[in-house]
Amino acid sequence: MAIETARIILFAAGAYLTIGVVVAAVFVIAGVDSIDHAAKGSPWSFRLLISPGAAALWPVILRRWIDAARKPHR
Amino acid sequence: MSVGYTWVQWNRHKRVYDAVMVAGAAAYIAAFVVVSRATWTADHALSDEILLLRALGSCAIVLLHLILCIGPLARLDARFLPLLYNRRHLGVMTFLIALTHGSLAVGYYHGFGVLNPLVSLLTSNTNFLSLTAFPFQVLGLGALIIMFLMAATSHDFWLRNLSASTWKRLHMLVYPAYVLLVAHVALGALQNGRGPSAWICLGLGVCLVVGLHLGGALRELRRDRGHPVVNPVEDWLDAGPAAGIPANRARTVCTRGGERIAVFRHDGKISAVTNVCAHQGGPLGEGKILDGCITCPWHGWQYRPGDGRSPPPFEEKITTYQVRIIGGRVQVNPRGLPPGTPVQPALCEESPDA
Ligand code: HEM
Ligand code: HEM
Ligand code: FES
Repeated sequence: MAIETARIILFAAGAYLTIGVVVAAVFVIAGVDSIDHAAKGSPWSFRLLISPGAAALWPVILRRWIDAARKPHR
Repeated sequence: MSVGYTWVQWNRHKRVYDAVMVAGAAAYIAAFVVVSRATWTADHALSDEILLLRALGSCAIVLLHLILCIGPLARLDARFLPLLYNRRHLGVMTFLIALTHGSLAVGYYHGFGVLNPLVSLLTSNTNFLSLTAFPFQVLGLGALIIMFLMAATSHDFWLRNLSASTWKRLHMLVYPAYVLLVAHVALGALQNGRGPSAWICLGLGVCLVVGLHLGGALRELRRDRGHPVVNPVEDWLDAGPAAGIPANRARTVCTRGGERIAVFRHDGKISAVTNVCAHQGGPLGEGKILDGCITCPWHGWQYRPGDGRSPPPFEEKITTYQVRIIGGRVQVNPRGLPPGTPVQPALCEESPDA
């Protein structure tokens, strides 16, 4: 693989994950309760544990979060 | 189940399992280092970094084989079921060990140059057409990413919020990851002149995994063909002799539509529920009755045999089926009742379970 290609791939991955870390941080503090009622009042250890997944799958998380915000009374 | 989340739902069994698992991995790594030190001496002595790299890598691959084998093993022989209950923790630990191995390798082989270590990992070797100089580390990276996704989404929160089918599809990526890793190890060991022993171990491992999966699948097929004898008059399914079901265990029968029903025997009574766990579709019929509840072999969710409901405070429900015993043989009405419907168990005529 050419060095330039590798740099582009890694830059894209880094950008994706940076956004993910930001989304995940806000989500586990303020959003998780709204998409899953079982998460209401859950401890910080649980929130920390789901953070890596939330950062990696942030498009899925954002989508569920927006859906939940649209119809608040599930 | 559906009470508030905690970070790990530990109970006594799981603590013991986890303790054995961690102690086993630590003992393996220590033994690996000691034995290698004794075998490779003088000119052939390995640096500490390489030793640790190999110890961690091989520990992870051994654990992965264990993970891959316990599913089919438990299907073939119920005595392996206890291993299955806590596979999730085994998976997460395997990932953490593999991550340490990968990080060490990246730091050690790529961390001292001017290039970003990951750029170096991707670009330092481009012999994709060569077998003996193939960039095997890239394969390891691919597998590690898959393992990360599985471990990161392992909490029940993800099972619920990713949808069962997405989660399962994600999880089935373990097989591509396994293929990548077999190639990673085969090509890595080849390049580093490890001699035939590494090849033999790996070959045995692959045979074991493939053989057990084939065996488990065949067994399943035969079981499905064996039982569905439908009484033409009334369409109740024959589920075989009541006495043949071991105490606190189930026999699984299959309807003509292909639905599996688990027929449990408990306290001299027979009850039938769906074979499919409400959590992640685990095979309830391969579980047993613990503390009066049907206990799923995958993650230990529990249901009362009489009404298919989880004991309070949990709220899960599964489909129940009517049962009766005629001439010592169990019959099941294949039309499932709404989940959580109480059903009168059929009484076995013989003495209740010892
Ligand atoms: C981390 C949380 C995990 C949970 C909750 C979990 C749970 C499960 C479940 C429910 C299945 C059955 C899926 C199906 O066949 O439909 C399964 C299968 C499997 N899992 Fe995991 N697992 C986890 C992590 C891992 C990890 C990290 C690995 C590998 C490194 C792994 C390897 C496997 C394998 C190989 C199978 C297939 C085994 C078979 O064919 O029976 N798991 N796991
Ligand atoms: C970024 C990811 C990875 C990198 C960069 C990497 C790198 C390496 C390197 C450089 C070696 C050769 C060590 C030597 O003998 O000199 C190696 C061997 C090995 N790796 Fe990896 N690896 C990665 C991921 C994995 C994963 C995920 C697993 C298993 C779950 C794994 C299992 C192994 C095994 C079993 C060996 C052979 C150990 C031995 O020779 O005894 N690796 N890896
Ligand atoms: S407990 Fe998870 S599938 Fe049954």
